[in-house]
Amino acid sequence: MRISSIGLFLVLCIFSTIACAGSLSWRALTPEQRIALAPLDQQWDTLPEKQRERLLETAKHYSHMTHEQKERYHKRLVKWSKLTPEQREAARQKYRAFNNLPPNEREKVKKMIKEEQLKKTQQSASGVPATPLSAQP
Amino acid sequence: MTNELDPQKIAQLLTQGAHQMDAGTVSALVNARQNALKRHFERVSISTLTQASGHSPVRWMDRLISRSAQPWIAAGLLVAVLIAGTSYWQTIQEQQIDDTDLAILTDELPIDVFVD
Repeated sequence: MRISSIGLFLVLCIFSTIACAGSLSWRALTPEQRIALAPLDQQWDTLPEKQRERLLETAKHYSHMTHEQKERYHKRLVKWSKLTPEQREAARQKYRAFNNLPPNEREKVKKMIKEEQLKKTQQSASGVPATPLSAQP
Repeated sequence: MTNELDPQKIAQLLTQGAHQMDAGTVSALVNARQNALKRHFERVSISTLTQASGHSPVRWMDRLISRSAQPWIAAGLLVAVLIAGTSYWQTIQEQQIDDTDLAILTDELPIDVFVD
Protein backbone atom coordinates (compact mmCIF):
# COMPACT_ATOMS: atom_id res chain seq x y z
CA MET A 1 0.00 0.00 0.00
CA ARG A 2 2.72 2.40 1.04
CA ILE A 3 4.93 1.52 -1.97
CA SER A 4 2.03 2.02 -4.39
CA SER A 5 1.30 5.44 -2.83
CA ILE A 6 4.93 6.50 -3.24
CA GLY A 7 4.86 5.25 -6.84
CA LEU A 8 1.69 7.22 -7.58
CA PHE A 9 3.23 10.34 -6.03
CA LEU A 10 6.37 9.99 -8.19
CA VAL A 11 4.32 9.48 -11.36
CA LEU A 12 2.29 12.60 -10.54
CA CYS A 13 5.51 14.56 -9.95
CA ILE A 14 6.90 13.48 -13.34
CA PHE A 15 3.65 14.36 -15.12
CA SER A 16 3.45 17.76 -13.46
CA THR A 17 7.08 18.49 -14.46
CA ILE A 18 6.33 17.54 -18.07
CA ALA A 19 3.15 19.63 -17.99
CA CYS A 20 5.07 22.66 -16.65
CA ALA A 21 7.76 22.33 -19.31
CA GLY A 22 5.09 21.95 -21.99
CA SER A 23 3.32 25.10 -20.85
CA LEU A 24 6.46 27.09 -21.76
CA SER A 25 6.50 25.95 -25.39
CA TRP A 26 5.82 28.56 -28.10
CA ARG A 27 2.52 26.93 -29.03
CA ALA A 28 1.33 27.08 -25.43
CA LEU A 29 1.96 30.84 -25.10
CA THR A 30 -0.95 33.26 -25.03
CA PRO A 31 -1.42 35.61 -28.04
CA GLU A 32 -0.19 38.53 -25.88
CA GLN A 33 2.96 36.64 -24.92
CA ARG A 34 3.60 35.71 -28.57
CA ILE A 35 3.26 39.35 -29.66
CA ALA A 36 5.68 40.47 -26.94
CA LEU A 37 8.20 37.74 -27.73
CA ALA A 38 7.64 37.69 -31.51
CA PRO A 39 11.34 38.12 -32.46
CA LEU A 40 12.09 34.86 -30.66
CA ASP A 41 9.43 32.71 -32.35
CA GLN A 42 12.00 30.57 -34.19
CA GLN A 43 14.36 29.86 -31.31
CA TRP A 44 11.92 30.02 -28.37
CA ASP A 45 11.54 26.26 -27.98
CA THR A 46 15.32 25.79 -28.01
CA LEU A 47 15.97 28.26 -25.18
CA PRO A 48 16.66 26.90 -21.68
CA GLU A 49 13.60 26.74 -19.46
CA LYS A 50 14.95 29.21 -16.90
CA GLN A 51 15.64 31.74 -19.65
CA ARG A 52 12.12 31.31 -21.03
CA GLU A 53 10.69 31.90 -17.56
CA ARG A 54 12.68 35.12 -17.20
CA LEU A 55 11.67 36.35 -20.65
CA LEU A 56 8.03 35.61 -19.89
CA GLU A 57 8.36 37.73 -16.75
CA THR A 58 9.65 40.67 -18.80
CA ALA A 59 6.95 40.07 -21.45
CA LYS A 60 4.27 40.66 -18.80
CA HIS A 61 5.13 44.38 -18.96
CA TYR A 62 5.00 44.63 -22.77
CA SER A 63 1.43 45.97 -22.96
CA HIS A 64 2.33 48.83 -20.59
CA MET A 65 5.43 49.91 -22.53
CA THR A 66 5.63 53.04 -24.66
CA HIS A 67 6.05 52.65 -28.43
CA GLU A 68 9.81 53.35 -28.16
CA GLN A 69 10.24 50.86 -25.33
CA LYS A 70 8.41 48.18 -27.35
CA GLU A 71 10.71 48.82 -30.30
CA ARG A 72 13.83 48.61 -28.14
CA TYR A 73 12.53 45.50 -26.41
CA HIS A 74 11.93 43.72 -29.72
CA LYS A 75 15.29 44.81 -31.17
CA ARG A 76 17.22 43.62 -28.12
CA LEU A 77 15.42 40.33 -27.44
CA VAL A 78 17.38 38.25 -29.96
CA LYS A 79 20.78 39.60 -28.89
CA TRP A 80 19.87 39.17 -25.21
CA SER A 81 18.71 35.60 -25.69
CA LYS A 82 21.93 34.69 -27.50
CA LEU A 83 24.14 35.77 -24.59
CA THR A 84 25.51 33.18 -22.18
CA PRO A 85 24.13 33.22 -18.60
CA GLU A 86 27.49 34.65 -17.46
CA GLN A 87 27.30 37.49 -19.99
CA ARG A 88 23.75 38.29 -18.93
CA GLU A 89 24.79 38.31 -15.26
CA ALA A 90 27.72 40.62 -16.07
CA ALA A 91 25.34 42.93 -17.94
CA ARG A 92 22.98 42.99 -14.94
CA GLN A 93 25.84 43.89 -12.62
CA LYS A 94 26.95 46.71 -14.96
CA TYR A 95 23.40 48.00 -15.18
CA ARG A 96 23.03 47.97 -11.38
CA ALA A 97 26.38 49.73 -10.98
CA PHE A 98 25.27 52.37 -13.50
CA ASN A 99 21.95 52.76 -11.69
CA ASN A 100 23.73 53.25 -8.36
CA LEU A 101 25.66 56.26 -9.67
CA PRO A 102 24.57 59.69 -8.43
CA PRO A 103 22.05 61.28 -10.86
CA ASN A 104 24.52 63.88 -12.19
CA GLU A 105 27.17 61.19 -12.86
CA ARG A 106 24.56 59.06 -14.61
CA GLU A 107 23.61 61.97 -16.83
CA LYS A 108 27.29 62.54 -17.70
CA VAL A 109 27.68 58.89 -18.73
CA LYS A 110 24.48 59.02 -20.78
CA LYS A 111 25.69 62.16 -22.52
CA MET A 112 29.08 60.58 -23.30
CA ILE A 113 27.44 57.45 -24.73
CA LYS A 114 25.05 59.48 -26.86
CA GLU A 115 27.92 61.59 -28.20
CA GLU A 116 29.89 58.47 -29.03
CA GLN A 117 26.90 56.93 -30.78
CA LEU A 118 26.38 60.10 -32.81
CA LYS A 119 30.06 60.13 -33.77
CA LYS A 120 29.87 56.50 -34.83
CA THR A 121 26.79 57.15 -36.95
CA GLN A 122 28.47 60.14 -38.63
CA GLN A 123 31.70 58.21 -39.21
CA SER A 124 29.94 55.19 -40.66
CA ALA A 125 28.02 57.50 -42.95
CA SER A 126 31.28 59.14 -44.16
CA GLY A 127 33.13 55.79 -44.37
CA VAL A 128 35.81 56.62 -41.70
CA PRO A 129 36.27 53.85 -39.05
CA ALA A 130 35.04 54.78 -35.57
CA THR A 131 37.52 55.39 -32.70
CA PRO A 132 36.54 53.64 -29.47
CA LEU A 133 35.72 55.92 -26.53
CA SER A 134 38.37 54.28 -24.34
CA ALA A 135 41.10 55.08 -26.91
CA GLN A 136 40.28 58.80 -26.79
CA PRO A 137 42.53 61.11 -24.73
CA MET B 1 1.19 49.98 85.87
CA THR B 2 0.81 50.35 82.18
CA ASN B 3 1.73 47.53 79.80
CA GLU B 4 1.93 49.70 76.69
CA LEU B 5 4.61 48.55 74.24
CA ASP B 6 6.87 51.20 72.81
CA PRO B 7 7.58 50.19 69.13
CA GLN B 8 10.96 51.93 69.15
CA LYS B 9 11.99 50.07 72.29
CA ILE B 10 10.90 46.77 70.76
CA ALA B 11 12.90 47.49 67.61
CA GLN B 12 15.95 48.32 69.72
CA LEU B 13 15.58 45.10 71.68
CA LEU B 14 15.24 43.07 68.48
CA THR B 15 18.33 44.69 66.95
CA GLN B 16 20.32 43.99 70.11
CA GLY B 17 19.05 40.40 70.09
CA ALA B 18 19.96 39.98 66.42
CA HIS B 19 23.52 41.13 67.11
CA GLN B 20 23.82 38.63 69.93
CA MET B 21 22.71 35.63 67.80
CA ASP B 22 25.31 33.02 66.88
CA ALA B 23 26.53 32.73 63.23
CA GLY B 24 24.73 29.39 62.60
CA THR B 25 21.34 30.80 63.52
CA VAL B 26 21.94 33.91 61.37
CA SER B 27 22.88 31.85 58.28
CA ALA B 28 19.88 29.53 58.82
CA LEU B 29 17.60 32.56 58.96
CA VAL B 30 19.18 34.07 55.81
CA ASN B 31 18.71 30.78 53.93
CA ALA B 32 15.10 30.48 55.03
CA ARG B 33 14.40 34.05 53.90
CA GLN B 34 16.00 33.47 50.50
CA ASN B 35 14.03 30.23 49.98
CA ALA B 36 10.81 31.96 50.90
CA LEU B 37 11.48 34.79 48.46
CA LYS B 38 12.38 32.33 45.71
CA ARG B 39 9.13 30.40 46.18
CA HIS B 40 7.18 33.63 46.23
CA PHE B 41 8.58 34.81 42.87
CA GLU B 42 7.98 31.41 41.26
CA ARG B 43 4.35 31.47 42.37
CA VAL B 44 3.90 35.02 41.04
CA SER B 45 5.33 34.20 37.58
CA ILE B 46 3.22 31.02 37.17
CA SER B 47 0.05 32.75 38.30
CA THR B 48 0.72 35.58 35.80
CA LEU B 49 0.99 33.07 32.93
CA THR B 50 -2.11 31.22 34.10
CA GLN B 51 -4.09 34.43 34.25
CA ALA B 52 -3.03 35.35 30.72
CA SER B 53 -4.10 32.07 29.08
CA GLY B 54 -6.83 30.94 31.41
CA HIS B 55 -4.98 27.63 31.99
CA SER B 56 -1.46 26.58 32.86
CA PRO B 57 0.46 26.86 29.53
CA VAL B 58 2.44 23.69 30.22
CA ARG B 59 -0.69 21.61 30.88
CA TRP B 60 -2.47 23.14 27.87
CA MET B 61 0.44 22.17 25.61
CA ASP B 62 0.62 18.69 27.13
CA ARG B 63 -3.08 18.15 26.52
CA LEU B 64 -2.74 19.10 22.82
CA ILE B 65 0.55 17.39 21.95
CA SER B 66 2.26 14.52 23.72
CA ARG B 67 5.51 15.43 25.47
CA SER B 68 7.60 13.10 23.29
CA ALA B 69 6.31 14.77 20.09
CA GLN B 70 6.91 18.33 21.27
CA PRO B 71 10.64 18.55 20.34
CA TRP B 72 9.89 17.11 16.88
CA ILE B 73 7.12 19.59 16.30
CA ALA B 74 9.37 22.43 17.44
CA ALA B 75 12.10 21.21 15.06
CA GLY B 76 9.56 20.90 12.24
CA LEU B 77 8.33 24.44 12.84
CA LEU B 78 11.91 25.73 12.81
CA VAL B 79 12.59 23.95 9.49
CA ALA B 80 9.33 25.31 8.04
CA VAL B 81 10.29 28.85 9.07
CA LEU B 82 13.75 28.41 7.50
CA ILE B 83 12.27 27.08 4.24
CA ALA B 84 9.72 29.90 4.10
CA GLY B 85 12.45 32.48 4.75
CA THR B 86 14.73 31.03 2.06
CA SER B 87 11.91 30.84 -0.46
CA TYR B 88 10.91 34.46 0.28
CA TRP B 89 14.53 35.60 -0.14
CA GLN B 90 14.80 33.69 -3.44
CA THR B 91 11.57 35.26 -4.72
CA ILE B 92 12.94 38.72 -3.96
CA GLN B 93 16.21 37.87 -5.75
CA GLU B 94 14.35 36.54 -8.80
CA GLN B 95 12.17 39.64 -8.89
CA GLN B 96 15.25 41.86 -8.84
CA ILE B 97 16.79 39.92 -11.74
CA ASP B 98 13.58 40.17 -13.77
CA ASP B 99 13.35 43.91 -13.12
CA THR B 100 16.97 44.42 -14.20
CA ASP B 101 16.45 42.35 -17.37
CA LEU B 102 13.41 44.41 -18.27
CA ALA B 103 15.33 47.63 -17.64
CA ILE B 104 18.25 46.53 -19.83
CA LEU B 105 15.87 45.50 -22.61
CA THR B 106 13.94 48.77 -22.59
CA ASP B 107 16.38 51.42 -21.31
CA GLU B 108 17.26 54.32 -23.57
CA LEU B 109 20.94 53.38 -23.25
CA PRO B 110 21.96 50.80 -25.86
CA ILE B 111 22.36 47.21 -24.71
CA ASP B 112 25.99 47.18 -25.95
CA VAL B 113 26.92 49.51 -23.08
CA PHE B 114 26.19 46.73 -20.61
CA VAL B 115 27.18 43.74 -22.74
CA ASP B 116 30.86 43.09 -23.47
